Amino acid sequence: MKQYAMIINLDRCVGCHACAVACRAEWQVPTREGYRRNWVHRLGPANTSHGMAFTFYPGLCNHCDSPACVPVCPADPVEVTFKDAATGKTKTMEVAATWKDPFNGTVQIDQSRCLGCGACRDACPYGARYVNTEVANEDIGGEGIADKCTFCMPRVEKGLAPACVQTCITDARIFGVLDDPKSEVAAYVRKGARRLESANVKIGPNVYYFGKPRDLELLARTSTPQEMPEAASRRRMLASMMQPAVRQVKTAGLLGLAGAIAVRGLAEESEEE
Amino acid sequence: MNRRHFLKMSTATAVAMAASTAGLPGGKGLFRAARAGTLPIAPSGSMGASETTSVCEMCFWRCPIIGKVRDGKLIKIEGNSKSPVNGRRVCARGNSGVQLLYDPDRIKYPMKRVGARGEGKWARITWDEALDEIAHNMDKVKKEYGPHALAFFDHGASAEHLRKIFINMGTENYTSEPAFFQCVGPAALAYLETVGYITTGTRQYNDMAHAKAMLLVGSHIGENVHVSHVREFIAGLQNGARLVVVDPRFSTAAGKADIHLAIRPGTDTALMLAWINYVISNNLYDKKFVANHCEGFDALRKEVSGYSMEWAAKICDLRIEDMKAAIELLAKASPQVNIHPGRHSTWYGKGDVGRHQSYAILTALFGAVGVPGGIYFPSPVPLGHVECVAEKSEHVAPIEPEVSLKEDSAYPFSSNFGTVTADIIKAIITGKPYPIRLLGINGVNVIQTIPDPYETMKALKKLDFIFCEEIMAGETAIWSDIILPDAVYLERYDGVYAYDGLTPYVTVRQPVVDPLFEARSPYWIAKNLAKRLDIPGFTCPNEQAFIEKELEGVGYSLKTLNKEGGLITLPANPYRKPGELKLDTESGKVNLWVEAFDDEDLDPIPKYEATPAPPKGYTRLIYGRSPVHTFSRTMNNLWLHNEIPENKLWLNDKVAKMLGIRDNEEVVLENQDGKRSNPVKVLVTPGIRPDTVYMAHGFGSKSPLLSRAHGKGAADGFMMTKNVEDPFMGATSKRTNFVRIIRGGKPLAMPDLCPVPDEIPRYTIKSA
Repeated sequence: MKQYAMIINLDRCVGCHACAVACRAEWQVPTREGYRRNWVHRLGPANTSHGMAFTFYPGLCNHCDSPACVPVCPADPVEVTFKDAATGKTKTMEVAATWKDPFNGTVQIDQSRCLGCGACRDACPYGARYVNTEVANEDIGGEGIADKCTFCMPRVEKGLAPACVQTCITDARIFGVLDDPKSEVAAYVRKGARRLESANVKIGPNVYYFGKPRDLELLARTSTPQEMPEAASRRRMLASMMQPAVRQVKTAGLLGLAGAIAVRGLAEESEEE
Repeated sequence: MNRRHFLKMSTATAVAMAASTAGLPGGKGLFRAARAGTLPIAPSGSMGASETTSVCEMCFWRCPIIGKVRDGKLIKIEGNSKSPVNGRRVCARGNSGVQLLYDPDRIKYPMKRVGARGEGKWARITWDEALDEIAHNMDKVKKEYGPHALAFFDHGASAEHLRKIFINMGTENYTSEPAFFQCVGPAALAYLETVGYITTGTRQYNDMAHAKAMLLVGSHIGENVHVSHVREFIAGLQNGARLVVVDPRFSTAAGKADIHLAIRPGTDTALMLAWINYVISNNLYDKKFVANHCEGFDALRKEVSGYSMEWAAKICDLRIEDMKAAIELLAKASPQVNIHPGRHSTWYGKGDVGRHQSYAILTALFGAVGVPGGIYFPSPVPLGHVECVAEKSEHVAPIEPEVSLKEDSAYPFSSNFGTVTADIIKAIITGKPYPIRLLGINGVNVIQTIPDPYETMKALKKLDFIFCEEIMAGETAIWSDIILPDAVYLERYDGVYAYDGLTPYVTVRQPVVDPLFEARSPYWIAKNLAKRLDIPGFTCPNEQAFIEKELEGVGYSLKTLNKEGGLITLPANPYRKPGELKLDTESGKVNLWVEAFDDEDLDPIPKYEATPAPPKGYTRLIYGRSPVHTFSRTMNNLWLHNEIPENKLWLNDKVAKMLGIRDNEEVVLENQDGKRSNPVKVLVTPGIRPDTVYMAHGFGSKSPLLSRAHGKGAADGFMMTKNVEDPFMGATSKRTNFVRIIRGGKPLAMPDLCPVPDEIPRYTIKSA
């Protein structure tokens, strides 16, 4: 499996917010409170152990190695055959309305099957998802539709850069394949680009930050999630009470981490063609 | 977008949206997929929309762009990939042009004031009624009071044609751009007289990308976002350039600096003169360059000899070792060193020209003129001559006023650039030297821009007639008698844009969508007003006609240019070989000593003159830019407002602790004259000196017609009631105002944590 990843070079970033706005424009993300796929937080000026720092937290979905948002989805699983655009290889898996792509490592949502229950949003320690309640799949009793960064897969598949990468005025964002040692992304990781991980939050985020020690220290201090969200399980409970008919499926969601293993198990059992 | 619409769109675009998905059986559980066989990950974004090349006007840098249109609606703006300066990139504002176009608060029709001035009550009228009334008033005022009773304030691309109407009415009161007398004027004059050309303005000729070291004094690139400018700055740093930032505040640029000197505000010239002295006395200057290309070196050496590092350390409140490290770092890189000329230079009134002169002098001492990394020369683009836009027509017999506001100005260098803005305001209020009774305004919010705003409002009340051509109804528009709805840059042709920097190009602004409502292009408006005033010269049927003429100069037409992707590049000639350097000064050399200044009894070599320190209990107010806003004009933009809806007051952490003020707490400011601000939230930070507070400019709109921006954050401009005029050109100082914090209605005494040396007097507050 290849894994798409993004580097954000804070030495180049000036905090201009072009990325956040270009993403909003590209995907018509509404401006309601908390509705965004891509954000810039302004950090400091503040003292660090390496001197004063004034830097930024340009954030987006991390397309994690073990995404916390995927196993909690209560939507009815469907069998999906994925195809690797490069090799033509296919793989069939059972997925709920959100999954991790077996060929490019991105985490995606089937918005036509999303109930808008918010379990995925609540499960993400990075706050990368939001539920758009201006739209809903009313035919399946949906209350909203979850949305987040897709790493601009529809654009990438057409040979374009993600919208935030394309507009970045200083080329501070680098997108590519992590497991290709020749990629710029891999080179940055070798040079010391870091993920926003803590002792209790280690789910393999695939957005890496590069910069001066003072900037990385301020970023890590202010923007690393310290705990996995607990609200997620409460939200899932509510969802299950609303839809008793589907309790069976949502039980998988309630399993939390165990659920994740179950889903992965399913994926491993599926045949590669 | 409603739910139904979303679902419809999802179905239509589903095929294009399936990611790496091949086959999809329907759901087999209790939840049936909405549409079996489709897997819409997301809508198709802006892909596949039709593209038109144009030029941005969200700020005045004017990046080449493309507008992406689907079903007649602009959905996205990107950079023009053919552009050598930005490629596909645009900044947050460039991206947000979409929301200027579709802002529900846009001025949609010609409007006539029906309430009291400033009350904001309007009636919709026709274009004929609006233009008839403007023409009638212009004619009447001219007949009654003479041509100079008409004045025009402007800024931006749409102003040019209307300005020509005022020129042709015979007034001397035009080109009084607040962008000049309230911004770049002192820097422009200093460079013009020292090196013979203006290195900083709408264009900047600073080769940061090839510099080995850079000096920024107060210039906050990164918060001030001009795409090519920021790209060159970052390219320089990525290529290993060292960076020195002199700023009382820890700016974005300071965050990238090797050395940040948190200087006492108002003492920059002291630091510069001590550095110049240090460079000369330690033989760190380029002797060959000085011998061959500079005039007045001996006078300079003598003049600066008294400015020691020890003295400057005390004046500037800096450590000598940091000052030395910084100047040596810069000297080591010479001649590939960029002493950035800055841009906004109207800081303290006295000394603003001298401060920028000192940057030019240091540039010359390092031989950083016409070489990579230094200041470079523009490469002129040979555009065709256009005869169908009125210059001053022959039929206007010039009527010289007995006392000219422009030519008889108290400021010897102002008339080269226009009539001093502050003098026009004074003349409106006093009626001296002659009455000014009518004001035309285009693209400038004079109330937020020209200090003192209370005086400006007083002046506006005195006028017989005010009209403006605008897109959004900011403070100035609500004071007007007639408002004309200007077409957004995305709705119109404008002209040819030629870039004469390191990578010259020619491009053209053209409409990406049709004008909405009753908005009209500036040329259409001027042409139709000219007709009513019997002013000849607007002979082209439309903008395309003069664009074609201009493009002839580079051998293109609109059609052939568009075939080339809307943009062509031209060769550059930015550098000069040794021996080939000839400057556009009288001697052809750098004037380290400026005779023109001496002739007017002004300092030919800059001197340090103290600007008063804050009075006890007050702190100095400084200001800067928000990276997502262009002054007050973008504040109502949906996407930009969403990113940064309000400004914050930067307050030193020690001061905050002493006052018991918490981060994000809301306070009010009161200035030395008792004027109070809107409430503003505090950013508690070590990144600002204890004797200074900072906020980004443009916020705190007082116009109720801007529904998002109204009352959000505080306006620095409304705290500026004490202004010192620069003696060279009458530019208005903006960093000479002091504030204290009001909490719970009571003023707090700002603690005095930075001892002021005897050489710097304190400002005394007039007792009431």
